[in-house]
Amino acid sequence: MSQSLSEECTPLKKEYDSCFNSWFEGYLEPAVEAGRAGQRTREANAQKKAEEFEAKCGKIWRQYKSCVTKALKDKGLDTLLEQARQENPLVDPIPPPTSSNSNN
Amino acid sequence: MHFFSQSFQYEHPWSHVIIGMWHKYPNSKCTHVVSVDTLDRSIDPVTGIIRTERVLGCKQKAPTWIVKLFGGSEDAFVREISFVDPATQNVTITSVNLSLSQFATCYEQIRYSPVSPNRTAFTQTAEVQARLALWRSAADRLEQWLVQRFEQNAQLGKSGFSDVLRNLWEERHQASP
Repeated sequence: MSQSLSEECTPLKKEYDSCFNSWFEGYLEPAVEAGRAGQRTREANAQKKAEEFEAKCGKIWRQYKSCVTKALKDKGLDTLLEQARQENPLVDPIPPPTSSNSNN
Repeated sequence: MHFFSQSFQYEHPWSHVIIGMWHKYPNSKCTHVVSVDTLDRSIDPVTGIIRTERVLGCKQKAPTWIVKLFGGSEDAFVREISFVDPATQNVTITSVNLSLSQFATCYEQIRYSPVSPNRTAFTQTAEVQARLALWRSAADRLEQWLVQRFEQNAQLGKSGFSDVLRNLWEERHQASP
């Protein structure tokens, strides 16, 4: 597993990544199935899994996040990051290519 | 502006590729990626789309002329935003450089989508663009500054030489009446 940009945050990062990865592996395939089943099932599944993620990984996430936020500031990356977020918020997925229909 | 693109198919099911995506680094062929940090992550309760914002730290020696001209160092950071959409089985990733971003931007887009139960298509495009507007305004300001400095020096030269001439001829005039 890769390091954090700050040595101090690496243990928290690894614990968070492991937590996310194990949650994600349980999330992905059922979510693909739920997506096929229609909107109601999809929403119910997403809601349930989001709550489960918070319950499992919420605490370690907040610890890791506060560590990495401070590390970004110490390295002077916080302003660059803020500029990048303003210039390009990237709040939506890239739309599918126009030439082909990707819903199959 | 310069472009790069490639596409490829991995012989793995889409879900395996997407689970594997979070394990991509470290790997022995990409030793330039030294750190990966998640800064933000959200799960859309309606669509089930997971949005993740990460910062990747890279170490790569830059040619000396680049380091001299732009400052810069061995450490470069990239901001990456990914969207995992299980319902449409699409992953899209956008990456933009944070380091040296005042001079140029490298904008990369990646997509992973299923081709068949055991194949996943990967497409990658990148645009590299120097910030021409910035170069132009910097060049403009440099020219302006040079012209101003030239004007000042020209004024000083004119009045300085006037003094020299006056002093020289006044002295001679007084010396030999």
